[in-house]
Amino acid sequence: MTTEPEHAIVVEHLTKRYGDLLAVNDISFHVRTGEVFAFLGPNGAGKSTTVEIIETIRTPTSGSVCLLDMDVTTRKHDIVQRIGVLPQGFSSFDKLTVRETIQYYARLFGSRTTDIDGLIELANLKDKVNEQFRTLSGGLKQRLGIAIALVNDPEVVFLDEPTTGLDPRARREVWKVLLSLKKNGKTVFLTTHYMEEAELLADTVAIISKGKIIALGTPDELIERNANYLVLTLKAVDGTPFEVIQKMGFEPVPENHKHIKVRVEHADDIRKILNALTDAGAAPLSLDVRRPNLEAVFLKLTGEALRDDSLEGMPE
Amino acid sequence: MSRRVIGANLVVSLKTFSREKSVMFFTIAFPIILILVFGTIFLKQDNPSFDLHVQDLDQTNSSAQLLKTLELNGKLKIIPVDPAIDATQYAKDQKANLVLMIPKGYEKALVRRLGLVGGIPSAALRDPNASVTVTYIYDASSSTTSAKIQLLQSAFAVVNQTMSGQPRFIRAAETSMLTRKFRFIDFFVPGIIAMAVMTSSLSGAVNMNAELRQKGVIRKLSTTPITRTDWILSNILYQFLIAVISTLAILVVSYTVFSVRLQVNAWLLVLIVLEVFAFGGIGMILARVAKEAESATAAANFIMFPMMFLSGSFFPLELMPGFLQTIAKILPLYYVNEGLRAAMVSVDHTAALRYAAMIGVFAIVVFVLGVNTTKWDEDPA
Repeated sequence: MTTEPEHAIVVEHLTKRYGDLLAVNDISFHVRTGEVFAFLGPNGAGKSTTVEIIETIRTPTSGSVCLLDMDVTTRKHDIVQRIGVLPQGFSSFDKLTVRETIQYYARLFGSRTTDIDGLIELANLKDKVNEQFRTLSGGLKQRLGIAIALVNDPEVVFLDEPTTGLDPRARREVWKVLLSLKKNGKTVFLTTHYMEEAELLADTVAIISKGKIIALGTPDELIERNANYLVLTLKAVDGTPFEVIQKMGFEPVPENHKHIKVRVEHADDIRKILNALTDAGAAPLSLDVRRPNLEAVFLKLTGEALRDDSLEGMPE
Repeated sequence: MSRRVIGANLVVSLKTFSREKSVMFFTIAFPIILILVFGTIFLKQDNPSFDLHVQDLDQTNSSAQLLKTLELNGKLKIIPVDPAIDATQYAKDQKANLVLMIPKGYEKALVRRLGLVGGIPSAALRDPNASVTVTYIYDASSSTTSAKIQLLQSAFAVVNQTMSGQPRFIRAAETSMLTRKFRFIDFFVPGIIAMAVMTSSLSGAVNMNAELRQKGVIRKLSTTPITRTDWILSNILYQFLIAVISTLAILVVSYTVFSVRLQVNAWLLVLIVLEVFAFGGIGMILARVAKEAESATAAANFIMFPMMFLSGSFFPLELMPGFLQTIAKILPLYYVNEGLRAAMVSVDHTAALRYAAMIGVFAIVVFVLGVNTTKWDEDPA
């Protein structure tokens, strides 16, 4: 009986060059068996190159990558039997139906026991089994891609930007499928630039920027380490609170003329601010206290937003 | 190499083919349409038959006999014109490009010429100067007028020569290089087979490699057990099957509609296989060289269409100017055309072998190049 390795993926000093371009610059990380590992980075950061090297699609310039204790450069044939991949911008044969597409990939793996109906159900595609691929919406295509990635009951599943380009509703449908993978204990390597996706699904997060890993840990650890503060939002206020808070040494940021955001280091500071406002007769109608999310961590570490639509106006 | 994987790929390709109307059209319907259209035209050229409008002003047994003689070889079908009407006006009204007028007095002149008495010729009464003049009312702008006049002149020459009672001095003997008599359609069908196989192989290879790569399907496949060898072999096998389907469709229509007299032998299969490898190889090279699928398709069309017309698929090379004939002889499709005609029409096995060897060498070179340029990983070359 074989025992599962502690680490499903071990990347050591991985470097990838395209001519003069250094796409991946000496990165190292481990992915534990059974965990969901989110790989975050803006476009061009090197995340797709990294994941494609691990998936055996590309070859590294230097360094080593072991997947399920096998070297990706020499054991491609064995590795592909044990992994499932949803590539970025997944596409398939236009004229095949959903069922035929899953059957085709199952036949490629020689899997006679693939539960085609089970996969269709998991991907919530029961109503679409006889629809041709070309007629499916973006979200349905991605869900079919995930079902295909599972035809060989893989030990490691790679999902390269599974929700990019999807509307919020379709994205949530895909998340449901991903959550069921997590529940089933699969090792999942998730490449994304959606913070909420990583926070919802990931056990471990790695942030890559300009080919380098700049942060690695659980979402809580990363936030604790890099954005250990609270954001207080005071709603429906006039000019008085702004001056009161400023006099206390904080840096209030006006928002929408009616709200004020204040970054505080400790929960105690919130109580002090509220007391001061009450004393000044300028108590707000309502307030909101939030912990920063991974977006703020990313912004702090890289100085750039992950997506154009992700800026939240959070004070640094 | 995995038979299971190749089989799975083949099933997908055939399903896609059966659902892709445009591919079905160009693979099966288009060659059949060409066969039907050109076959009908050539059939008429091989056995030309014309309507001949005749105004018989004599209305005698002798003039009726002359008309029967004109119809004897089956090339002319007589359409009688009322003797009471104006023949020129009739030709204009009926758009008849030729009206033959047999004059009144035809029989009387014939009796004088032959010296007939009670239907029996008499040498003493024969008048060698007796003659008749028939009139052609014709439209010189019509393309078939001269053919009709030639046929009439030939028929009248035979009549005159028979009446002279002298045997012919020059006789012609015809010996065909071919063992059987073939029509133009028999030469045309192999060209259409070569064209159809080229189209399906070249377009198929471009679609399989360029379009699926651009869409990212090959990237996904490269993370499955299918290998580059499996992929190429299944594609070649698929293109061969499509070529066979297309060829069968062409042959069935050619045999049933035009009763072609072509021999189907092993050379047909050999040449189709070699052509699939040759044009499949070119397709793979184009798919790699072109940056986008659209450019690869455009490049394939750029190669295919001139080759169709220059390599003698549709009409004999002899009809083209000398420099175009020289160009034709550097085109691979020319050797497939000639090979198929040697195999199916003249049944010249030596010539078929020679052409097969030529296309075979070309096929090996481009296919090896194509295989080496078809990439399975994502790293830039």
